[in-house]
Amino acid sequence: MSAPPTPAEALVAVEDVHTFYGKSHVLHGVSLCVGRGEVVGLLGRNGVGKSTTLKTIMGLLGPSRGKVLFEGQAITGLPAHKLARMGIAYVPEDRRIFKLLTVMENLRTGLDRRGVTEARKQELLDKLFAYFPRLAERRSQAGGTLSGGEQQMLAIARAMMLEPKIILLDEPTEGLMPRMVSQIKEIVEVLHRDGVAILLVEQNVPLTLEACQRVYFMEKGVVRHHALASELTVDDAVVHQYLGV
Amino acid sequence: MSAMGDWIGFVWGWLATHGDIIIIQTVNGIVTGMILALIASGLTLIFGIMDVVNFAHGELFMLGAYVGVVVLSISGSFWLALVLSTLVVALIGAALQITTLRPLVGRDPLNTILATFGISLVLQNYALWQFGPVPRKLDEPITGQFVLFYLAYPWYRLLIALLSGAIIGGLYLFLKHGTYGIWIRATTQDRVMAQAMGIPVPWVHTGVFAIGAGMAAASGVLFGPLIGINHAMGLDWVLKAFIVVVVGGMGNLGGSIAASIFVSLLEAYAAIVVSPAQAVIVSFVVLILTLLFRPTGLFVPTPK
Ligand SMILES: Nc1ncnc2c1ncn2[C@@H]1O[C@H](COP(=O)(O)OP(=O)(O)OP(=O)(O)O)[C@@H](O)[C@H]1O
Ligand SMILES: [Mg+2]
Repeated sequence: MSAPPTPAEALVAVEDVHTFYGKSHVLHGVSLCVGRGEVVGLLGRNGVGKSTTLKTIMGLLGPSRGKVLFEGQAITGLPAHKLARMGIAYVPEDRRIFKLLTVMENLRTGLDRRGVTEARKQELLDKLFAYFPRLAERRSQAGGTLSGGEQQMLAIARAMMLEPKIILLDEPTEGLMPRMVSQIKEIVEVLHRDGVAILLVEQNVPLTLEACQRVYFMEKGVVRHHALASELTVDDAVVHQYLGV
Repeated sequence: MSAMGDWIGFVWGWLATHGDIIIIQTVNGIVTGMILALIASGLTLIFGIMDVVNFAHGELFMLGAYVGVVVLSISGSFWLALVLSTLVVALIGAALQITTLRPLVGRDPLNTILATFGISLVLQNYALWQFGPVPRKLDEPITGQFVLFYLAYPWYRLLIALLSGAIIGGLYLFLKHGTYGIWIRATTQDRVMAQAMGIPVPWVHTGVFAIGAGMAAASGVLFGPLIGINHAMGLDWVLKAFIVVVVGGMGNLGGSIAASIFVSLLEAYAAIVVSPAQAVIVSFVVLILTLLFRPTGLFVPTPK
């Protein structure tokens, strides 16, 4: 099986990245790329370094070797807030919404940027609340009082307020009911239609194969395999090998 | 039953004959409490957002008073002195934060404690060198008095309480509304996620340190007329501010304010029966009891 073609012009390219937590060496030379508007999956067993890869791209961890490129430009070492303004948004696996801020204030952390007019802000909010009517109802409620599913919606909605070119989405369906899971899948499709690229880390293999165009498989801190989602099925030998399902 | 009646009768009798002093001490307690709250708010805001225990806070208070003295002697206007001193010390605070605290982000908290301690020594000795050991006087802007029972009570004391309240209220509105308030609160709750949302966290830290420094300076100028101004004036007040910050719950703004008034009132009442010097012990007793029984602070709900 030959590796599928990667996009000619990558939006995000990770090249041979090594990352440490203190003395523990977690990423041993990760390389992958995401094209403009592309939805790409990142699969692997627990602890192989998927979240660490996302944190490294977001600038929350500094790689000791290798580099991260965004639109062809090296962004390694830039602080996260600059990357967020450049168009990279991050939805962490533990959601990390601001629990004491209201839903609206959570959204405003991403919305109140230089160069966004009041009219544009309203437009973004209107569009958002059309997708997430639950958040509209709860806009003046503290984030911490939302249910787990609603907090996940808010974490994604908050990232969308940055009008990003790519969203790093870490296990968005973890611990959610089937109905919420299909809602998350719908949002990923909407974002894809809007031309937003997504790097999706998931445990839910069927959802990943349906939502993504390409999939990377990680093992022990490196990318071991790379395939078109359309060429894989849930009980593929490859999937068995890397996920043990 | 009759013993109980005697007791109540005694307390009533005492209150009736001492009502005047109780009211006077209530006013005193609230006035001191408001000033203390102004100093403590800056301290707790800085701790809440960047986990920095600022040992130089008392020296920013002192520096504020001195800048006030200088501006007042040049311009003759107390209010100009208040405003300029706040701005100048806020800028000094920003410069200190950028040069000494920003490089220490992510290091052991001991590093920042030592750094702020170092700043406090430098500022104290600078003031001694620049202004000498003789205390300076800062004249109050209004000298009128009113009669509170048998006491001529200065209007200026009430004005300080009001202004402190107004400044703290302004801070509250600033934090509660507007983009910068959201940035500060988001950074306090989750620094990493705030940065991932595009909030320039290093500048938020600098801004908050500047606000805290400015508030310390404002309290130095406001309180200057009541206490002598010298290079060591920060020590007493910042010690008390640390006590109320701990009693109110580290980093909890509302708690610090409540604790300031609570502790000051207790001290004022204690001063009715013991000498004012002994009354100071009350705040230490409150501190020790808080640390023993409610280490997260008196004015926060017990964490789940
Ligand atoms: N803050 C940390 N300090 C030290 N080690 C860490 C830290 N975070 C993660 N690790 C370790 O790094 C390795 C990779 O962790 P990471 O969170 O990237 O895995 P993951 O692939 O996202 O796993 P999961 O599917 O469980 O989320 C694990 O062995 C983990 O124990
Ligand atoms: Mg993970």
